Amino acid sequence: MSAAARRFSDLTSHVVAFCRRLRLHGLPVGPREAADALRGLSAVDVGDRRECYLALRTVLTSRKDDLPAFDRVFEEFWNPPQPEGDHGPQTPKPLDGAGDGSQPPPALMEWLDEALQTQGEESMPAYSPVEALTQKDFSAFTAEELNEVTRLVIAIARRVATRLSRRTRSAQRSARVDLRRTIRHSLRRGGEIIDLAYRRRKIQKTRVVLLADVSGSMDLYSRFLIQFIYALQHALGQVETLVFSTSLTRITEAMSEDDLRQALDEVARRVPDWSGGTKIGASLRTFLDRYGAALLTPRTVVIVISDGWDTGDIEILEAAMADLRRRIGRVIWLNPLLGSPGYEPICQGMRAALPYVDVFASAHNLESLRQLEKHLAVRRR
Amino acid sequence: MHPEITRIQTMLEAQGYVADQSLATSVYLAIQLRKPLLIEGAAGVGKTEVAKVMARALDTDLIRLQCYEGLDATTSLYEWNYQRQLLHIRLQEKSDLPLEVREREIFSEPFLLKRPLLAAITHDKAPVLLVDEADRADEEWEAFLLEVLSDWQVTIPEIGTIKAKHVPYVVLTSNRTRELGDALRRRCLYLWIDYPAFEKELSIVRRKVPAINERLAEQIAAFMQFVRKTKLDKTPGIAETLDWSAALIALHRDHLDEDAIAQTLGVLFKQRDDAERVRTQWLDHLLGSVRSLDREPRPWTQDAIDRVAGRASPRP
Repeated sequence: MSAAARRFSDLTSHVVAFCRRLRLHGLPVGPREAADALRGLSAVDVGDRRECYLALRTVLTSRKDDLPAFDRVFEEFWNPPQPEGDHGPQTPKPLDGAGDGSQPPPALMEWLDEALQTQGEESMPAYSPVEALTQKDFSAFTAEELNEVTRLVIAIARRVATRLSRRTRSAQRSARVDLRRTIRHSLRRGGEIIDLAYRRRKIQKTRVVLLADVSGSMDLYSRFLIQFIYALQHALGQVETLVFSTSLTRITEAMSEDDLRQALDEVARRVPDWSGGTKIGASLRTFLDRYGAALLTPRTVVIVISDGWDTGDIEILEAAMADLRRRIGRVIWLNPLLGSPGYEPICQGMRAALPYVDVFASAHNLESLRQLEKHLAVRRR
Repeated sequence: MHPEITRIQTMLEAQGYVADQSLATSVYLAIQLRKPLLIEGAAGVGKTEVAKVMARALDTDLIRLQCYEGLDATTSLYEWNYQRQLLHIRLQEKSDLPLEVREREIFSEPFLLKRPLLAAITHDKAPVLLVDEADRADEEWEAFLLEVLSDWQVTIPEIGTIKAKHVPYVVLTSNRTRELGDALRRRCLYLWIDYPAFEKELSIVRRKVPAINERLAEQIAAFMQFVRKTKLDKTPGIAETLDWSAALIALHRDHLDEDAIAQTLGVLFKQRDDAERVRTQWLDHLLGSVRSLDREPRPWTQDAIDRVAGRASPRP
C-alpha cells in the first residue's frame, strides 16, 4: 500500500470512528452521512484544521441543537484534551443571571429550581403512581410528587397538541371555482362553460391563544399550568401566549426558548407583576386592542386560564368578553376552582364572563387537563 | 485554504459577508457534493443572499420559491394557462379535429405555466433553486418537496413524467417557526448563521453605507451588539442595522444620543412592544454601555463589548 493510500485509509477509519462517536452523542449520523463526510473531506484541504472542521460540521449536523455536541466531540476526538488545559464542556449558566437586586418573583423562582431538578431524569420508575396522581388537586402535591407531575403535565400537553393540529374539514359552502376542471368539462360543449367545478378551500389550522392569569390567587396552579402552556406551545407551533395579573404581557417569544429553564427565566424577567392583583377585564381589553386584529379570526380558539377573581371594573370585563366572543371561534375558560367540591361560579368576575364562554372546564388536576383534548376542536358557527 | 473556497469567499465579501469562511465552505461543499444546503438562523442575517452568491459563483440563474402556509404541490410546480386554453378552444371552434386531438393540444407544454420547481428541473443549465422560508409551508408540502429532491422528476397527469435535464443546486432557508422534519434535514447539508460579531457588522455598515462617518458607524455597530443582548420579540438583524444607519444619516446625525434614537426607533424595531420596551426600559442602559465603550482603547472589539456588557448587567 502506498503512503498516500495508507493515509487515506487511516482517514477513512478515523472518520467512521468519529461518526460513531457523534451517533453516541445523539446526532443522526448514519452510513450515508459518513460517506458524505469522506467525500466532503476529499474536496477540501485536509491539512487545514479549520477547513476540515467546517466541512465535517456542514455535512454531519442537521440542526442548531446538534452544534454544541458536535463541537465537543470534535474537540475530544481530533484534539484529545491535555491533562492541564482541559476546559471541559460548557458549564450551564447560573440559574439567576442577575447581579443587581431585581430578582424575578419568588413564586416563579422557587418553582424554576424544581423544574430544573426534573430535567435530565429520564428513566421511569418501575411503578408509577399515575392513577393516584391524576385525581389529586395540584395544590395538594407533596414535593416528591412534583417531578412525576411535571412529566405528566408535559405528556398531556403533547397529546392535546396532537389533537389540535389534526385538521378539521371546513363545512363552509362557498368554495373556489376549479378552473382546471371547469375548462376540461367545457370542452365537451365546444368550450361553453355551463357547469362550474368547485374546489374545496384548503383546510386551515386552528390558532390557539392562551391567556393565563398569574395573579397571586392563582399561585398554586400557575406553576403547573405554565409548564402545560410551555409544552403546548412547543408541540403545536401556532400558539400565542400572554399572561396577566394587573397588566398584560406577551410571552410567546420568551416561551419559545429551547430550554424550559431558560424560558421560565425569561418569563420571570419580563412579567413585572407576577403574583400581583387581578384586573381581568382591563387585561382582556388591552389584549383585544393591541393584538385583536392580528390574532383573532373565526378559526381562533382562546383559552383563558383564571379563577375569575377580578378586582377591577366588572363592566369592562363583561364588554371585553362580549367583544372577544364575537370575533373568534371558541372561548374556553379553565378555572382551577371548579374542581373544588361545592364550588359555584358566584364571584362577580366569573359570573359576568360566563355567558360568553363556550366551554367552562376545570384545570385543577391532571385528569382535567387530559379532558381538555375533547374541548379543543373548533366547530364553525 | 482551497482556492475555490477563497473565490466564493471573495464573492461573499462583495455581498457584505465579511471574511466568512464557514459560509464559503458550506456553499462550496453544496456545489461539490451536489446536496441541498439547509440554512437556518434568525431573520435578517442574510440567509437569502447566500443563494444569490451561489448563483453568481456558478454563473447560473437563480429560481426562487417563496414558501407560505397553504403552499401546495400544484402552485409550486405548474399551472395551466386557462385564459390561453379558453382562447384556443374558441379559435378551434370550427375545426373538424376530433375532440381528443383538441384536448391533447390544449394540455400540452405551450399551455403550461411553469412554477419554480418545474422551471428549476427543466432549465437549460442547472440553476440555483432557492426554497425560501421552508418552515412556513406545511408538512404535506415538505413531504412533496422531499420527493422531488430525491427523484428529480415530476409527473403531470396530462403530459406524463418530466425528468430533470440537470439537477439544480438547492438552497433551503428556515427561520425555525416550525421545525423541519428529520427526513428533509438528513438529505441536506446544514449551516447555522448567527448574528454577526461587532467587527463584521462594522465593516458591513462601512461597506453598505459609504456616506457614514467612522464614529457613527462604530456606535451603531456597538449599539446593535448591546441591543441583541437584551431579549426582544424580534431581534433586529443586519437589514435593520443598515436601514437604521441610513435613517440616521438622512436626519444628519453624526453620533448617537437619546434624541437621535428616539426619533428613529421605529426603523430599528418593527414591533410596537419592542420599541416600547426599549424606549422605557433599556435606552439609558444601552446608551450607557456605548458611552463606557468610548473609554475603551480603539479599535473596539467584540471582546471589549462583551466586557462592557458583562460589567453592566442588562436589566431593566
